[in-house]
Amino acid sequence: MVKSTSKDAQDLFRSLHSAYSATPTNLKIIDLYVVFAVFTALIQVLYMALVGSFPFNSFLSGVLSCIGTAVLAVCLRIQVNKENKEFKDLAPERAFADFVLCNLVLHLVIINFLG
Amino acid sequence: MMNLSRSVALISLFLLPFLSSSFSVDNPTDRRVLVLLDDLSLKSSHSTFFNTLKSRGFDLDFKSADDSKLALQRYGQYLYDGLIIFAPSTERFGGSLDSKSVADFVDSGRDLILSADTSASDLIRGIATECGVDFDEDSSAMVIDHSSFSVSDGDHTLIAADDLVKSDVILGKSKIEAPVLFRGVAHSLNPTNNLVLKVLSASPSAYSANPTSKLSSPPQLTGSAISLVSVMQARNNARVVISGSLQLFSDRLFRSGAQKSGSPDKYEKSGNEQFVTELSKWVFHERGHLKAGSLVHHRVGETDEPAIYRIKDDLEFSVEILEWSGKSWEPYVADDVQVQFYMMSPYVLKTLSTDKKGLFHTSFKVPDVYGVFQFKVEYEKLGYTTLSLSKQIPVRPYRHNEYERFIPTAYPYYGACFTTMAGFFVFSFVYLYHK
Repeated sequence: MVKSTSKDAQDLFRSLHSAYSATPTNLKIIDLYVVFAVFTALIQVLYMALVGSFPFNSFLSGVLSCIGTAVLAVCLRIQVNKENKEFKDLAPERAFADFVLCNLVLHLVIINFLG
Repeated sequence: MMNLSRSVALISLFLLPFLSSSFSVDNPTDRRVLVLLDDLSLKSSHSTFFNTLKSRGFDLDFKSADDSKLALQRYGQYLYDGLIIFAPSTERFGGSLDSKSVADFVDSGRDLILSADTSASDLIRGIATECGVDFDEDSSAMVIDHSSFSVSDGDHTLIAADDLVKSDVILGKSKIEAPVLFRGVAHSLNPTNNLVLKVLSASPSAYSANPTSKLSSPPQLTGSAISLVSVMQARNNARVVISGSLQLFSDRLFRSGAQKSGSPDKYEKSGNEQFVTELSKWVFHERGHLKAGSLVHHRVGETDEPAIYRIKDDLEFSVEILEWSGKSWEPYVADDVQVQFYMMSPYVLKTLSTDKKGLFHTSFKVPDVYGVFQFKVEYEKLGYTTLSLSKQIPVRPYRHNEYERFIPTAYPYYGACFTTMAGFFVFSFVYLYHK
């Protein structure tokens, strides 16, 4: 039983990996960016758990900047993905422009809230 | 005739402030002392004591206790700075003196030496009770000690006492070697009263009873609870000495040799003269009288006193304390003067260090609490005048622009925000220009 489950896990992992390699490069770049942002957020949460939440506004500002930019990147990926029927008529340049403007507003707010 | 006496009275009224050249704040030693005697032969039988007082510059005014012209005050001003009552059997004082006027005399800050003896009258007991000292209620009782009496005595009522209080300021620097001879009545102190103090206590084997009659019940006052000589320092720093024996001050006991029963040491001269002289120096403020200047405080690096401090300021505090040596003000040297930074309870309590010239100083950080604080110096050392000084000062919190600009614990968050922005910038370039 154990052997078969580990073999199943390996097979699952291999099929996921091969399916993922088929995605276009620009989507892979966006995925990398999301992973980087979430990873930065996790480091900050770990730091807060160790040291305590003293300047809470700074903590929130740091975490929300990472999470916010990750969310915006996910939205960009959804809009730019050619397999997505819902956004067939939306130009990818328009999606990228929205992404840039939203990030600008996000970072402005974040710097203000950082203290 | 009337005009003449009236004009003399008027002139003496004008001259009175100039005649009273004593007992001021700058010169606290008493000068004019009224001595009340019930028997004028005490002048000669206690002449050594009175002569030592006169040689130290006191003006002694001897009066009989029932003299009808006795007065402590005239026209609202006190005529004397000190009072010695050697009149244990007087029932009523003459003139305008009574136990209330003696109590007012002490309340005004003036000093008193009161001596009772066997057959002390109610008046003397009443004055002693006002000062916190209770004599034995039995008027025929004396202090008897069967193991600490003087060997020259027959019926064990002449006590050779050596249980003295350990205080250099009350009894002088040099130790009193010979025992002090005492024959008189016992008194006790209320243990909750913290203004009175036993200077000469009886030994644990002493008791107070009538020496001529057989004891029918155990005596009430026994052992070390019996005080032979006590002092009281009132809250206004008036000093009172209460003694149970008039013979303690007499020439005969001054000159007599002393040997305590059961002890091989034989002394040529009893300790009475040294004991009485040193005690009179203390009671008339020739020793142990302190004066403090004002409290000075300022921030470190400045010299002016600020009107308000901020929390976590560094400040320096100093106070000057002088001691009266009998003739001049000398710097006071001690290592136990403390200052409190007080608001309902002391937030800071520091012992002041002295520069041996009378200046006591320290420095500390204002605590992290804001409010209205007081610098308090409360000094109550045995035998010294009490010092109670305070100065109020407010403490404010930080102003909005006095906080630190960047909080060190938040540096990772600052770093994360800027890293995210850089990452976004790099990502945009890569996304747009990748092949």
